[in-house]
Amino acid sequence: MTYFIFAGDMLVMLFMVVLVVWVFWRSSDKTIEKSARIPLEDEDTDA
Amino acid sequence: MVSGTVEGERYFDRVVTALVMFSVIWAVLGMTVGVYIAAELIWPTLDFGLPWLSFGRLRPLHTNAVIFGFGVSALMGTAFYSVQRTSHVPLYAPRLAWFCCYAWQFTLLLGGLSLLAGWNTSKEYAELEWPFDIAITVIWVCFAIVFFGTIARRRIKPIYVSNWFYGGMIIVIAMIHIVNSLAIPVTISKSYSLFAGAQDAIVQWWYGHNAVGFLLTGGFLGMMYYFLPKQADRPIWSYRLSIVAFWAFTYSYIWAGPHHLHYSSIPDWVQSLAVAMSLILLAPSWATMINGIMTVSGASQKLRTDPALKFIVLSLAFYGLATFEGPMLAIKSVNVISHYTDWTIGHVHSGALGWNALITFGTFYFLVPRLVGTVLYSVRLANIHFWMALAGTMLYILAMWGAGVSQGLLWLSLDEIGELSFSFKDIMASMPPYYALRFVAGLVFLLGAVLMTYNLYMTIRGRRTIHVRPPAVTSHQV
Repeated sequence: MTYFIFAGDMLVMLFMVVLVVWVFWRSSDKTIEKSARIPLEDEDTDA
Repeated sequence: MVSGTVEGERYFDRVVTALVMFSVIWAVLGMTVGVYIAAELIWPTLDFGLPWLSFGRLRPLHTNAVIFGFGVSALMGTAFYSVQRTSHVPLYAPRLAWFCCYAWQFTLLLGGLSLLAGWNTSKEYAELEWPFDIAITVIWVCFAIVFFGTIARRRIKPIYVSNWFYGGMIIVIAMIHIVNSLAIPVTISKSYSLFAGAQDAIVQWWYGHNAVGFLLTGGFLGMMYYFLPKQADRPIWSYRLSIVAFWAFTYSYIWAGPHHLHYSSIPDWVQSLAVAMSLILLAPSWATMINGIMTVSGASQKLRTDPALKFIVLSLAFYGLATFEGPMLAIKSVNVISHYTDWTIGHVHSGALGWNALITFGTFYFLVPRLVGTVLYSVRLANIHFWMALAGTMLYILAMWGAGVSQGLLWLSLDEIGELSFSFKDIMASMPPYYALRFVAGLVFLLGAVLMTYNLYMTIRGRRTIHVRPPAVTSHQV
């Protein structure tokens, strides 16, 4: 059981590492900046 | 995903206003019951010999009213508000959204009465009997249809991080509610769980802890990730960190439930796994707290003058405190002192009052004036509420820490021949000062909530929800 838990933990860790690499390498600074600004530009202020 | 904009299209906010109002009503009702049962622990005769006024019936009414009435109504309302805006489209199926709003209130009202009548599954935070479980499932599925339907119709490509948290809440709560509620009905008011013994305990705390995780933490983080940037008028400090924290949070929280069952008959490896995952949880929790506080760090001037922002920043501090304390209490050598004591109650309330209630209060102070197109009736009253909420929360936590640590250490004390030094009765006889302090703290917190109710009522009185349109074509659109 200990090995089973260890293997499971390592898979979770692997997922997290892949995710971090993906988030930092696949998304450009411009895309991230645009996404972060979504709540600040979500209403038609001229209406 | 749809493209282009429709002339005259506007966000559907009336249901948001209704949910916010219901949430405030549940807050006052649920907290009043909480203060009453705190008084019963000092003056037990306050039940007047009436079964429906007994602690055993009022306590689940208190937790259901504040978690599912106050909390879920606020989450549903803010999710409906933010998902339209972050998708640049009106709410999908607004009639279904109205159904969610009123059916939820009706179910909770009848459910609350059933608790007073003594209907109870005996599962903590899942006390409502099977007819209510079915109703909750139906309403939750409708909530999911409205929420994910709006996202599916979005006009911008990215799905903003708040929607990941709200979406995670909707999916996980559906899963754990259905599994934990599996039961064989015997009568209209009684059912028996499909699980038995240790399995029943594991399923119950898989549900219980993930209700705390994905509803009271994940859902409210969704609220934070949308309303904090709005109030601070600046984007979240690190959007990348928010995404990594979401997945780390989702993957580690789901395993942590069995830390509620340390030293019980469940397998030892399950307890150890829960300890490990609880400790890992510290990383995404504090990453989120740091992300939130760094977002506000550039808006210090606004922090001095905006009561809504003050509430949210303070809630982040309590979020950090509660998410540090939680993993520590999950360690078995600490848990041996804290379990079955009032320390646990203190921990729960540092999260419930300090994190959930404060971020909701801050959000409401921001949201309600915007919904009706005006300014807050009284900033001064909101500031008074802020200090009352802070004082109430701090006093509550201190009282329960004092009571809990005393109980834990005294119960573990052995005399020279290895017998218990103090009986349960002896220890409980020393508790009234702590319980009196807790009663005062709860009362102060409740009075603050009443002030907010008055302030929001005066803000909204005689006004209608205004119409707001999605923005014109932006660079996000496809």
